[in-house]
Amino acid sequence: MATLEMTYREALQKSMFEEMDKNADVFLMGEDIGRYEGTFKVTKGFFPKYGTRRVVDTPITEAGFTGIATGAAMAGLRPIVEFMTMSFSILALDQIINHTAKIHYMSNGVVKCPIVLRGPGGAAKQLSAQHSHSMDGWFAHVPGLKVVCPATVADVYGMLKTAIADDNPVVFYEHPRLYAMKGELPDDPNFTVPFGKAQILREGKDISLVGYSLMTQINLQAAELLAQDGIDAEVVDVRSLLPLDTETIYASVRKTHRAVVVYEDWKSGGFGSEIHARISEDCFDDLDAPVGRVGGLNVPMPYARNLELLAVTNENDVVAAVKKLL
Amino acid sequence: MSSTSGSATADKPKSEDSSVPQRPSEALSKDECLELFRLLYLARYFDVRLIKEKKRGRLRGTLYSSHNQEAVLVGSLFGLQANDWISPIHRDMPAFFLKDIRAGWRNPERKGMSIEEVCCQVWGKVGSPGRARDNWSHIGKRDAKIIHSTSMLAGTIPVAAGVVLADKLNGGNSVVLTFNGEGSTAQGIFHEAINFAAVHKLPVITIVENNQWAYGTPTELEYSLPDFARRADGYGIPGLIADGQDVFDVYDKVMQAVEYARAGNGPSIVECKTFRAYGHGDHDDDRAVRYREPDQVEKGRERDPIAVCRKKLIEKGYLKGEAAKKFFAEGKNAAEVTDEDFPPEVVEYLKEGIEFALKSPVPDEAEGAMWVFKENA
Repeated sequence: MATLEMTYREALQKSMFEEMDKNADVFLMGEDIGRYEGTFKVTKGFFPKYGTRRVVDTPITEAGFTGIATGAAMAGLRPIVEFMTMSFSILALDQIINHTAKIHYMSNGVVKCPIVLRGPGGAAKQLSAQHSHSMDGWFAHVPGLKVVCPATVADVYGMLKTAIADDNPVVFYEHPRLYAMKGELPDDPNFTVPFGKAQILREGKDISLVGYSLMTQINLQAAELLAQDGIDAEVVDVRSLLPLDTETIYASVRKTHRAVVVYEDWKSGGFGSEIHARISEDCFDDLDAPVGRVGGLNVPMPYARNLELLAVTNENDVVAAVKKLL
Repeated sequence: MSSTSGSATADKPKSEDSSVPQRPSEALSKDECLELFRLLYLARYFDVRLIKEKKRGRLRGTLYSSHNQEAVLVGSLFGLQANDWISPIHRDMPAFFLKDIRAGWRNPERKGMSIEEVCCQVWGKVGSPGRARDNWSHIGKRDAKIIHSTSMLAGTIPVAAGVVLADKLNGGNSVVLTFNGEGSTAQGIFHEAINFAAVHKLPVITIVENNQWAYGTPTELEYSLPDFARRADGYGIPGLIADGQDVFDVYDKVMQAVEYARAGNGPSIVECKTFRAYGHGDHDDDRAVRYREPDQVEKGRERDPIAVCRKKLIEKGYLKGEAAKKFFAEGKNAAEVTDEDFPPEVVEYLKEGIEFALKSPVPDEAEGAMWVFKENA
């Protein structure tokens, strides 16, 4: 099949344009997404095309617009809500946890809530303590939410389509450091990527590097460095946290007998800890070494660039963790 | 859009929309007025019966009594259209069966809950719309246009606003009544939701049941306005004040707000001034006796909504002679009142609901883990 080359951001836009053209129930809501076209320019071109009915500029009111989108979803629409950064979703946690995630259960399956909560999460560059949160693990703790963290251009395109079509609330986790990344995607408007399917982005036999979102790209870079030292690392891209495809992860671990889980969130209690625990519980007999874990430093993100670089996981941290296990 | 300025302007006509009648209750027929009276009894009896059931040990869970506040529920719901939405809170249990009750108490087609469904919810039985997956007041029914509530109280206002936003985007003409105590108006989400609704002119009518107490906290520690309705001034929306003990006044003020919203003018706040008869919940009754002065409680309860309505109906000539003297439920606590104090059809209606609930099964254990996610069709 023919492929297209574009950035992660352009793939997001293409996916949303196509779905909005297909389904009039899909609409956008968020701060500065319409007339201003989005702080990260993800919604560039949407307001001129769809107007005020389908591109709703809101006051600064994360809890408010999340609740309003939840109500609109309950009443039959399919809102896509943008958080200017996922760090701001903290303001909407009560709405997300107590309304968005629970209404289907509380109504014994009668009221569905097809909503996409999307935006950039994780550290960009010197945005410091309150704009750099990795919220993925917080959301993946909540029954009733689906949480996906695409790491590639094709995935961000195909998984957003799946998210919009899903009848459940989906937290769609983008990464600010991936928006400008270029990549390929199939030239096919029907291309989708299902949730709950991890992928092997690089085959290897010595150790499995398990990660998602930006950390998958970090793991690919680490694998290159390890190859220079003769270490053959396999890169497992988890893609979706809820539902989690443990089978693909376990199959890789059973092949390599070693694993390092890499995540950007604070190391203590981040979702990588959950993956680590699952591998340790279920693959114990297949392991030749304890499962390694690389996470963010347990500090509010520092502003100074040198301190920020110390706090965020990079490919050298991954290489060091691998070498400890071999 | 008209806005209140200066003192809260409950009775001033809205200058831009003189077509909204100021006293829509004057157009109610004799039968409709008598039905309002009966519905006050129904709401009161529901409360009384549940208190008695708990005392008898046949019922668990926390009871948030709506005693003395029935006119707020009956008056605000009576004029709604079937396709309008409501989002009641914990103290509004009667609202679930009062919605669209004009279509017939036992009419299975009406856009409200049957008494059997409400009782099943209370008793935790499968006959409730949510199959008893959450507690008493956390109940909703989509087909009936009743939005679930949560313990976060004002947190449901944006959800309700979103529901009518969807209706509006789809060309519909529904409005939503969201119910809150004055206590939850101090939450940040109250502001976020109403501001959003005001900016986007959403048909959201916020009924503030000002019963003077947020759990154990009095109004002077909740907000610093002489009349809460003036909060509306800050949003550029109407703020109306209703006498929460007078079912006709509640009906008038809510219908003004409903017609105003339905005409596309946006949200309103309707403050219904009332008084909480008991503690916050039945677990709080003993303490409430200590944190509220007896004369304050006596004064707050001296205008029982049933008595206020009775007086008006006598004045109108709709209740005469012996009929005017029957069923003296007003002014009596649950412990003092008997079935003889209520119209027999009210007692019978509740009896059917409770018996149905008692006979109904509890949810199957396998249901506990079901419906966390929707399976895509």
